[in-house]
Amino acid sequence: MSLRVRLLLMIGGALAALWGAVAFWLHGDIERQMQRMLDDRLLTAAYMVSDLVTQNPALWTASAGHTPALQPVLTLTGPLACQVSSARGEILVQTAGATGAVLHDAAPGFAFKAIDGQTWRTYTINTHGLAITTADRLAERSTLLNSTVLAAVAPFGAALLGGLLVLWWGVGKALQPLERLRCELATRAADELTPVADTGRPRELRPFVDTVNEMLARVRAMVQRERRFTSDAAHELRTPLTAIKVHLQVLRLSEGEDAVRALDHADEGVARLQAALSQLLTLSQVEAHAGSDGASRAAVADVVALAVRDCAPAGDARLQIVNHCEDAVIALPQALAVTALRNLLDNARRHTPADGRIRLQVDRQGNDVRFTVADTGPGLDDEGLAMATERFWRRGTGAGSGLGLAITQAVCERFGGSLTLARGPEGGLVGTLTLPQAKNNHDMEA
Amino acid sequence: MRILLVEDDELIAQGVLAGLRAHGMTVDQVATAAHADAALATLACDAIVLDLGLPDEDGLTLLRRLRAKGCATPVLILSARDAVPDKVAGLQCGADDYLLKPFDLSELVARLHALARRAAGRCVDVIERGALRVTPSLGEVTMHGRVVPLPRRELALLSALLNAQGRILSAEQLKSSLYDFNDDIESNAVNVHIHHLRRKLDAGLIETVRGVGYRIALNGSAAP
Repeated sequence: MSLRVRLLLMIGGALAALWGAVAFWLHGDIERQMQRMLDDRLLTAAYMVSDLVTQNPALWTASAGHTPALQPVLTLTGPLACQVSSARGEILVQTAGATGAVLHDAAPGFAFKAIDGQTWRTYTINTHGLAITTADRLAERSTLLNSTVLAAVAPFGAALLGGLLVLWWGVGKALQPLERLRCELATRAADELTPVADTGRPRELRPFVDTVNEMLARVRAMVQRERRFTSDAAHELRTPLTAIKVHLQVLRLSEGEDAVRALDHADEGVARLQAALSQLLTLSQVEAHAGSDGASRAAVADVVALAVRDCAPAGDARLQIVNHCEDAVIALPQALAVTALRNLLDNARRHTPADGRIRLQVDRQGNDVRFTVADTGPGLDDEGLAMATERFWRRGTGAGSGLGLAITQAVCERFGGSLTLARGPEGGLVGTLTLPQAKNNHDMEA
Repeated sequence: MRILLVEDDELIAQGVLAGLRAHGMTVDQVATAAHADAALATLACDAIVLDLGLPDEDGLTLLRRLRAKGCATPVLILSARDAVPDKVAGLQCGADDYLLKPFDLSELVARLHALARRAAGRCVDVIERGALRVTPSLGEVTMHGRVVPLPRRELALLSALLNAQGRILSAEQLKSSLYDFNDDIESNAVNVHIHHLRRKLDAGLIETVRGVGYRIALNGSAAP
């Protein structure tokens, strides 16, 4: 439902209901007051007549049985009817409006009486053997009431209607900045991610504009990251491909030992291409992995053993392992845990001189298991420490794919772990990989 | 033709090295910008093949510095960066050509020959001097319409002398366009090659300028 319709329904509905209730109450009140006022008029008129009659009762009673001294029918017309009758029921005097022998038998006090299909309101008093009745027609009363109510309520209704129209226009006018913003956003090109201008906007829209701008900034950063990744990935794949292609062409030009060497080099290029592809694939798998899987578990002892075996199948004399958590279980798939740790070890081995040392220590820290890999290599400067987990960053002309630590970082992000890199106390690099421990240690899957 | 290859990827460098040598070029390879600077200070090469992603410095920075120093050697950028802005930046920094990795060896060779040809002020790939006709990119030499097969060093020597267009080249200069740093050279190697060329083509083709060096005969003594 559009905001305009919603606002109109809410404000208009509330206004109409409120004004309607007031009008209803007003109508009832006016009607009550009118009835009382008209009844008072009947009563007053009856007493006035009674006063007039009783000033000279003999005039009325002495001539009982005879033609009354007064004309029986007064030529008075108007909304009120009046009749004076004797105790015997003779009508002594009557206004022109009343229609004979009907009003007199009314009981004293107020009453309703139907005469010739019309309802009358009557008031009767008995005094000195005379019955004095005043009356008016209900139809006249309701005509009077209706005109009064109309006079009171009509402006009211007109004001309500006018109010709703003003409301319609006002709401539309007030929503214009929103509509302008909508048009601005709707007409943007798909790749236009510059911030929306926030000047000249109503205060209420600013938070919304700010949020949109923050989101645009995030999308912009992501698009840039993806673009850089694509171009970096293309570069990474092109380099080994170039090596393969050039050596195959050399192979065609040469023979004997040179040909064998060219073939070996082409093979090496294929191995590099394969390694780069599998790293890229791992990275995309980790990044696409839908959240932490609670059922995934890996024994720390297995992870350490597999990671060491993978990175140094023939063993590495520089590597020293201190495992304080042989029996711990971590909450992520074994293959990914092994990859994360292996990349950290690979990195240390690549940058540590032949006579250096690499120390892998595993210990428990709260609910996490901490893997610390410290080497005696050249370490990294501040820029290097900040960039080392970026995809395709590598130090100098390192032989790595530039993806290892990025993959470890991605695994950490996926499974609630963390990776920190720092300079060691005696130089070298210290990589700390913290991975969450599984909930129940005894429930290990095969 | 002598080429300096600046490429840090060992595997690719070896391939290009072997490929260019197989096409009769003399190639030296360095892996860093610093080494490239050092090599260019002592070596006169006909063209530089430059990779952009060097470990110690960006290739474009190196190129800009070379051009600022007045180095006019043709430069061919060999890069995996395929975006148009990269190519534009490369050419604007002073490169003469831009070739994308992966590339065809034959294309690289043809482009290098084209660069050398333009640097020598020619616009066709054939050098003619009297009855002698040399096509450096094909390594083809004909004398009076008859093909004369020449080994690659003799061909390189002949090309260098022809490209010099009569200027005198010292034995040292000629040697450097025939051999790279690693070649084991005998002191009279150039003499021997000159002798062979005179015998195979025309005795008057190459003049010896005593105490200075050699030049191609200006008066076209190789006329029929």
